[in-house]
Amino acid sequence: MSAGAAPPRTIRFDDVWKSFGDKAVLCGMSLEIRPGEVMCIIGTSGVGKSVAIKLLIGLLRADRGEIRWGDLRLDSMSEPEMIPVRKRIGMVFQNATLFDSLSLAENVALPLRVHKGMRMREALAEARTRLDQVGMAEFAGRRPAELSDGMRKRAAIARTLTLDPEVVLFDEPTTGLDPVSARRIDRLIAKLSDDVGVTSIVVSHDLTTIFTIADRIAFLYQGRVHVCGTPAELRSSVDPVVQQFITGQSSGEMETPGF
Amino acid sequence: MSEDRPATGPRQRIERLGAAALDGLAATGQLAGMLGATWRGVVRGRRPPGEVANQMFVVGNKSLLFVAVTLGFIGMVMVYQSCLQLERITGDLSRIGPEFLKLLVQDFGPTITALMLATRVGAGIAAEIGSMVVTEQVDALRMSGVTPIDYLIAPRFIACVVMGAVLTVFGVAIAYLAGGLTAWSSFDLNPRLFFDPSRVGFLDLCLGLTKTLCYGMAIPVISGACGLRARGGSEGVGAATTAAVIGSSLAVIALDLVISGVGLLLVGHGR
Repeated sequence: MSAGAAPPRTIRFDDVWKSFGDKAVLCGMSLEIRPGEVMCIIGTSGVGKSVAIKLLIGLLRADRGEIRWGDLRLDSMSEPEMIPVRKRIGMVFQNATLFDSLSLAENVALPLRVHKGMRMREALAEARTRLDQVGMAEFAGRRPAELSDGMRKRAAIARTLTLDPEVVLFDEPTTGLDPVSARRIDRLIAKLSDDVGVTSIVVSHDLTTIFTIADRIAFLYQGRVHVCGTPAELRSSVDPVVQQFITGQSSGEMETPGF
Repeated sequence: MSEDRPATGPRQRIERLGAAALDGLAATGQLAGMLGATWRGVVRGRRPPGEVANQMFVVGNKSLLFVAVTLGFIGMVMVYQSCLQLERITGDLSRIGPEFLKLLVQDFGPTITALMLATRVGAGIAAEIGSMVVTEQVDALRMSGVTPIDYLIAPRFIACVVMGAVLTVFGVAIAYLAGGLTAWSSFDLNPRLFFDPSRVGFLDLCLGLTKTLCYGMAIPVISGACGLRARGGSEGVGAATTAAVIGSSLAVIALDLVISGVGLLLVGHGR
């Protein structure tokens, strides 16, 4: 099946299980993400939020269950079959993961050269345009080590957007950033959804980010989606576990491994 | 004997041995698969511009002093000890130089150089790739459509094969020179008698070259595989680095044994 140009597609996790050794992380997670929406996945550390989005893009393999994107069944695709899918679904990693040996422009140009077969000069020109969109054009020639965390993250977003993906996965996009940089990233994510209709899945602990940008929020607890709804629905939820998480109380019904 | 005590009978010991042998076979199969994938990566040529030259510098130039010092000292010690023993037994040192060169070309030069590369370069490859794995840079490569083996292993593979051969030639020359100087200064052996290449034939050169090329292929593949399997944080990278050094060194020794055995069958004992 081809992952080429297609009408907006819904993403579905259906009874997905994933363990690492004897540690079960996802235990029957089911979730539907509509085209064009910003879906935030929240939950305590180690609950499997990042694992879920890595399963979606084939960086990890599910033990059981189905993951679909429209008609495409992603969980059973081989690595070569995932390559065209990764042109359409981009990911911004928690640590930005720019390649230290390349300049920002070369980092952003890399997917263009590999996925689109562009020549180096064309790819670098396109990369500078993309860096300009995130306010980083003047740093195009710099190496990642010379930049702040926020700048690296914006460059990583530019790299992800070079292929005009239909879906972007953000893994802790604002973690470790100062409030001003974090709000800039929030605006970028919201703009992607509003202006271009990109579907965004955001994994985060940052409640300010989540309640600012989310169309819907999925609260992951004990390996499953415990509650899924709009920010207003979550705020008004009477579920004690949800309330404990949102209000950040240390005592309550929520079971947190290691405490 | 209590029934719930762990079984330690002959059958269990055989089962454990069998399981270990199967694990070893599976690991060998995985490495063979990775070697094939690396060759495909070399042929496809999808690697960063200038990366092969960069890796050649890392593998070759940066190992030069290490290899020179190691092979130089080994050459000195081996020739000194050999002269000492031979002087006591026969008193004739005239064949020591040609025989030493034959040994260097056939075996010691390629193997000692490769063991040095396994520790210095193998550890470096595993640590660098392992760090990229645990910081998700390898995942980011996969997301960019890049095959990590093409991008990370193939340039190091080419560099190790080419610079491994260059370093071996350099190491053999240093060891031979150091041995000759030792024989001359300590035993007053005429350099014309020592520096006599008449015992080294075409088959000796082929044997040495075969070993050099095989070692050059084994070290980056094993070290790269260890790096790509790194999990967790710095602890995982450390474990990958240790595994790479042990695995590469053992592979060099095992390949030496196999290739020398085949060489003996082809060349014969008497030469």
